[in-house]
Amino acid sequence: MLSCRSWIPGPPGGEEIHRAGRKVLRYVLSVCAIIAINFALPRLMPGDPVMNLIGEDAMVTPAQLAEIRAKIGLDRPVTVQFVSCLGDLLCGDLGYSFHLHGPVAGILWSRMSWTLLFAGTAIVLGALIGIIAGALSGWKPETRRSRAVTCAAMAVSCTPPYFLAMLFLAFFAFRLGLFPAKGYYDVLTAGSVVHHLLLPVAVLTLFAASRNLLVMRGSVVQEKNSHYALYARAKGLFGRQILFRHLLRNASLPVITLVALDFGFIFSGALFIEIVFSLNGMGTLIYDAILARDYPLLQGAFLVIALLVVTANIIADLLYGALDPRVREGGV
Amino acid sequence: MRAMDALKSTNRGAMALLAVFLCMAAFPSLIAPYGPSERSMPYQAPGPEHILGTTNMGNDILSELIYGARISLLVGFASALMATGIGLAVGLTAGYFRGALDEVLMAFTDVVLIIPKIPLIIILAAFLRPGVGILILVLGALSWESIARVVRSKTLQVRETGFVMSARCMGFPPLRIMASDIVPNIVHVVLPKFMLATAAAMISEASLSFLGLGDPSMESWGAMVSSAFTKGGFIREMWWWYLPPGICITLCVLSVAAIGFAFEAGEGTTVRVE
Amino acid sequence: MNPVLEIDALSVTFCGKQAVHAVDRVSFSLGGGEVLALVGETGCGKSVIAHAVMGLLPGEAQVSGRIVFKGRDLLALSERERSAMRGKDCAIVFQDPSRALNPVHRIGRQIAEPVLIHGAGSREEAHRRAAALLERMGLSPPGNYLPLYPCQSSGGMNQRFLIAASTILDPSLVIADEPTKGLDPGRVHEVEDELVRLTGGGRTALLLITHDLAVARRIADRIAVMYAGEIVELAENDAFFDRPSHPYSRGLLQSLPEHGFVPIPGSSPSPVSPPPGCRFQARCRDGKAVCGGQHPDLVSAADGRMVRCWQCR
Repeated sequence: MLSCRSWIPGPPGGEEIHRAGRKVLRYVLSVCAIIAINFALPRLMPGDPVMNLIGEDAMVTPAQLAEIRAKIGLDRPVTVQFVSCLGDLLCGDLGYSFHLHGPVAGILWSRMSWTLLFAGTAIVLGALIGIIAGALSGWKPETRRSRAVTCAAMAVSCTPPYFLAMLFLAFFAFRLGLFPAKGYYDVLTAGSVVHHLLLPVAVLTLFAASRNLLVMRGSVVQEKNSHYALYARAKGLFGRQILFRHLLRNASLPVITLVALDFGFIFSGALFIEIVFSLNGMGTLIYDAILARDYPLLQGAFLVIALLVVTANIIADLLYGALDPRVREGGV
Repeated sequence: MRAMDALKSTNRGAMALLAVFLCMAAFPSLIAPYGPSERSMPYQAPGPEHILGTTNMGNDILSELIYGARISLLVGFASALMATGIGLAVGLTAGYFRGALDEVLMAFTDVVLIIPKIPLIIILAAFLRPGVGILILVLGALSWESIARVVRSKTLQVRETGFVMSARCMGFPPLRIMASDIVPNIVHVVLPKFMLATAAAMISEASLSFLGLGDPSMESWGAMVSSAFTKGGFIREMWWWYLPPGICITLCVLSVAAIGFAFEAGEGTTVRVE
Repeated sequence: MNPVLEIDALSVTFCGKQAVHAVDRVSFSLGGGEVLALVGETGCGKSVIAHAVMGLLPGEAQVSGRIVFKGRDLLALSERERSAMRGKDCAIVFQDPSRALNPVHRIGRQIAEPVLIHGAGSREEAHRRAAALLERMGLSPPGNYLPLYPCQSSGGMNQRFLIAASTILDPSLVIADEPTKGLDPGRVHEVEDELVRLTGGGRTALLLITHDLAVARRIADRIAVMYAGEIVELAENDAFFDRPSHPYSRGLLQSLPEHGFVPIPGSSPSPVSPPPGCRFQARCRDGKAVCGGQHPDLVSAADGRMVRCWQCR
């Protein structure tokens, strides 16, 4: 009689729950830290906290100022203020922008969908292109083409995204006149939107793809020498079949981690590109807010972006776990 | 082997390039044709008197370019130094003492890791009206996580080696063990991370200057690009104004990153510019 | 009967900073359904021979000689032709099964894979065959094992999965490279049974590479002993274990636990510059002057075995 343990994977054991719990705790702590920073900043920064809370450019009469000061209630104990701030957040109230005369949440919401469309497309495309190009480059790393691509990727990833955007804009839009120079659309049709977004998405995709390519390339170069790659060859796989059937999934794992960690960086890059292309998204909103020192808006934007980043990290964690059974088993 | 030769020649090229920028930063008055406050006619195209033309205020662009090296390199290296210092402290402590302290420090690191840097820097910079010092502090205080992680994992390794074990058994104080035994053995992983942190800091500084959040008294490369963009140089296709500083940023970051990559090539780890 | 595999003066040299002569003019043949055990210490070149037959040596290896498999000289074939044969006509089972299996693919997919690679069936067909194979191996019901990942099962089980993946297309030649290394005794017997079951039908020849003499004794028809890149003795199983001829073979048997754990003094010569004369001479108790001067050839002895030794003539 064969002696074997029960091989059927059962319900999550104690250790698995422990590990998942730690991850969730980490994310919860991050969100708490972000909210805490948001709360503390205007109160800790130099200058009149009330001015910090309503923005430098707010045009209010002294009477209105006194009213606001009383409403914000800076003389209440800190904990009470924090709880009230938390309460506002949960109701979706991110404050009021005196500079733009509107609630911060509403302003952000209307601009954010465009930025997400733009940045989201670029991140996904950048991941796909970076993975494929990096895999091909890492498969034959010594060829001239592979080395040229690697150098190009390095150069692109060292360029500030806004500079890249300016180059593209100057060449393709001004000089060649192929693309419009500003705005998300002339008429709200899909065609017009694509036409306007093509260049900005191309720039951001290039930037994200170059970073992913470098990581993927290194990962493939490492995985190429693994035992299972050799065994795949021993089964009869030939040339690039080994790459695509076996190496791709394993080597993409670090790239997924990178995309998650990079999300904040790439999203920030998107903001700069929006400024260059005069797109009416969060980038120009923030730029404006900086010039006017509209602190409520800046804080609201920070909060929203930070929460987006946390979400992206969570999604990446889930994706990684779906792809790599070792993580689920806790054996890595 | 061909790969090693290619690596060596890239390394030498990168070092030469970096040396050029360091010279620009160290002795700008010797190289630049004009001083930082000399002005002539604004918006000039490149000509015999001003090789790269002039800005909207009449400053010579080439001189601005040369003087701008100081800020980028200063902010880059200084903030990387600070980040490395913090990362070393956190990583060494976590890796050496392990246990609860390690858990807490790593949880702290993880939390800081997720917080998006550039938006936070933008907010801080907007509040604080930065000068160079603030910039260095802020950038340095937000980029130490990956260094801390690497230091910690290496410390965990080195901690178990023979000579460290014997030092611990002999009862030497932990600080001394860390300084004399562990640190020399982790320098080779910290060095490439330092270079990459410098590269990242330079890009961040360039980005912040572009937004107008840099030091207003010193015209860094990012600020030059920003001026070109906002003061009509870009619309008028005055490529001699924004192209050189942009290219300088790229080349400087590239040279630092290439050196960092070259250091790390022996480790066999995957590399990236943060 | 025509041999399935015929190795003729195979030499493998690795060209790095120095030339490493891993295998030096090795010749032997393997008949259909036969089990030949290639034994020797680590570094004697046996794994290199396995990789050479499969065509899996790294780029810097220089191979000379002939490897004739079912009438075709493998060294004259292109990479594409050789990969068409791997997994289908000839297969290899690596040591360290947990690393030879892809950690992010399920077992079922990895066992069924050769069927899909060589176009021998659709995806459903391939999985059916994999399930049927596991049943034949006694792993029943197969539905318990096919959805597993390598990290979810033990080394011994993984080794059997590896054997299944290598043999699903009934190759004429299976090379098992240290199949029982690192397994505990219970698992060793399972793998042995597997290999015996494999060759029982007489259609599959097995080249067993091992340093474990006990396993070789239990399942091999013939034993070939390698030392420093050469074959030094080639004999039938019983004849070898009853009366080993070559001093190295004698030393090997004496170093077994049941014979007293007597080690052979010294270490094997450097593959970069092998000594003139007999390569075992430095560690041999019976060495004479001629052993140091002239290199002995592999010649037949009276009882049909082949020995490379001046003292065994």
